[in-house]
Amino acid sequence: MVAKMRRLDATKRMREIMLGYYLQGRQAEKIGWITSGAPVEFLYAMDIYPVYPENHGALIGASKQGPHFASFAEERGFSQDLCSYARCDLGCIFAETSPVDGLPRPDFLFACNNICNTVVKWYEVVGRIFKSPVFLLDVPFVRKEVKESYIDYVEAQLYDFITFLEKRYGEFDESKFRKVLKLSVEGVERYREVLLMGRHKPSPLTCFDAFLNMAPIVCLRGTSIPPIFYAELKRELDDRIRNGISAVEDERYRILWDNIPVWYRMRWFSEFFMERKACLVADTYTNAWTALLDVSKRDPIRALAETYTGIHLNLGIDLVAERINGLIDTFDVDGVVIHSNRSCKPYSFGQYEIQRLIDVPSVVIEADMTDSRVFSESQVENRLEAFIETLQT
Amino acid sequence: MEAVRGKKIGYLCTFTPKELIWAAGFLPVRILAKNQPVSLANSHLQTYSCSQARGSLERLLKGELDLAGVIFTRSCDTLMRLADVWEKNSAMRVYNLEFPTKIRDSTLDFFKRELYDLKSTMEEWSGRRIGREELITSIRLYGELERTLKELFEAQPDYEIVLKAQSHKPDEVLKEAKNRLSEVRGSERDRGRKVLVTGSVCPFLEITDLIADAGFSIIDDLCTGTRFFTFETPKNESEIASIDDAMEFLARKYFLKAPCPTKNYENDGRFSYLLERAKDVDAVIFLLMKFCEPHFFDYPQLKEKLEAMGKKTLLLELEFPVSPEQLRTRIEAFYETL
Repeated sequence: MVAKMRRLDATKRMREIMLGYYLQGRQAEKIGWITSGAPVEFLYAMDIYPVYPENHGALIGASKQGPHFASFAEERGFSQDLCSYARCDLGCIFAETSPVDGLPRPDFLFACNNICNTVVKWYEVVGRIFKSPVFLLDVPFVRKEVKESYIDYVEAQLYDFITFLEKRYGEFDESKFRKVLKLSVEGVERYREVLLMGRHKPSPLTCFDAFLNMAPIVCLRGTSIPPIFYAELKRELDDRIRNGISAVEDERYRILWDNIPVWYRMRWFSEFFMERKACLVADTYTNAWTALLDVSKRDPIRALAETYTGIHLNLGIDLVAERINGLIDTFDVDGVVIHSNRSCKPYSFGQYEIQRLIDVPSVVIEADMTDSRVFSESQVENRLEAFIETLQT
Repeated sequence: MEAVRGKKIGYLCTFTPKELIWAAGFLPVRILAKNQPVSLANSHLQTYSCSQARGSLERLLKGELDLAGVIFTRSCDTLMRLADVWEKNSAMRVYNLEFPTKIRDSTLDFFKRELYDLKSTMEEWSGRRIGREELITSIRLYGELERTLKELFEAQPDYEIVLKAQSHKPDEVLKEAKNRLSEVRGSERDRGRKVLVTGSVCPFLEITDLIADAGFSIIDDLCTGTRFFTFETPKNESEIASIDDAMEFLARKYFLKAPCPTKNYENDGRFSYLLERAKDVDAVIFLLMKFCEPHFFDYPQLKEKLEAMGKKTLLLELEFPVSPEQLRTRIEAFYETL
């Protein structure tokens, strides 16, 4: 009998929230496209609707339409070796449709390269198509340590960004901005509490639940929705624990996932691990949004500069390995499954070195987050099977 | 000074200010992949990284590189990660220079601060201070070398000497370049159809030879070609008076380097630069390294704009080892279509 993923009720609520989010985009008057690691707080403070092409890419991946939409971009000369989120989203622009009927046109694009330099190139392409300006928030890479000059640099650009927004939309409302920041911190706190539920043995949730329910913290951070939604989700997980319900029946192994999920194979992975009594209790991806701003600081802009410079993907290998070891410790995991993601070079290059730096055994599987054409089920299955066997001994 | 000159400092990206390395008494040596298959690097870097990254790492792991240290200059995601992989697998010192991605007046000060940090690092590595004299001498030497190469390329492209300039002593290459220049000066530039060859790294002379052999007269926008020495210098080097002047000069000079797709420019600077350069050519060859995201993102829209100008284009995707014979047919066929 195939083990079935135990869906959380909150996931239904999440779908409604995200449907609402996408519908809102159709009526929005002020629209900015934004990367997943950028400080969205500025946009919400100015009542600008933030469009997340990466979330849209994930949605296309999860609906298994990655190759279909990517092909529209590939026909126009965009190489199959480029990031599949970018290919899918560009493909939707050319196809003039998507699973959510396309994304609204940007007035401007806000790219922050603290997650990759891919987004800079991708947004340049979109900017040329729509003749919209691209504001780049250029974040120095923290290979070893954060230099004070890095924070100064990012901070100065945040002020430039305010000026950029004010030129378009009028005065920046500082009191509104502070309210947004407060909601952002609250949302992140509630979200973090949800992820930390994975510490419980057996765990009431898997990283697949986390993947499915991460969209609100990414897209709606700074609004009143995440604090409410994640508190609700936390209550459901508390109930599970109280009623003795675990995400994986008879949890025997606790595993950490590294990298973006394989969106078009979520159920397959989930069931594969479930059948083997392995629970993926946490992942490095959803945990990347748990950085807490210190808003008690007098200067919130400085705090934002620090927070957005220190995110997971913007760190050197030693620091990344340190964080992974922190997660291994927090969630008490037995092993790590590392997704070598063809579409995400900064997330994937260095993984072989990271394997040597972390405290538990690990395995690398080759895949892509949205492009199912490069996924080899038998290869991945063999690797994972062998890995789980090693955990038994 | 000469005793330390034996020590070499490697760099991969041409946005690395060699002037500071040379001024510290080191010889800057560009690390380039060889035309050989990769085996050792496979357990350190995935196969979906470009040949330049994998091939350079392969050379390190094979023990082919005798370097005291390596400077990784922020350009693409691959090199950013390669710095750590490199450090984990060698005894060399590794330093990362955070060159801004965003090239604007407003980001210049940050870069200048980074250059001061690089200067201190070079001083620490060499155990000697970089004084005003050393710095100015180095800046002038490179400036003269770059201008000579530019003049030489206008008369007759010479890909062998530009490769040499990336790894040999600049004073010696300067002499050689001057000799070459006096040999070719006045002689007519090769005729034939003009082609702009644009792309990233192509350290194999066979390929530019192939293009020339097919009958093309080449102007290039390659990182191993003219982009290595093309700068719009901000002011005359003789006006540099102090160390701070010199640092300011270097910061501005590297901001005014021939544009690269890893950088973000105002008003789509790279596109306008290339479209301008393509005005008088008959065709454009994109010589791109497989998996090079920055170039491949620019490619479709650039191609479209070039075609709108009436230029024919050809895309050659490189993965090392390359077999020149396979490329020959495609280049010759392309020539025929013109």
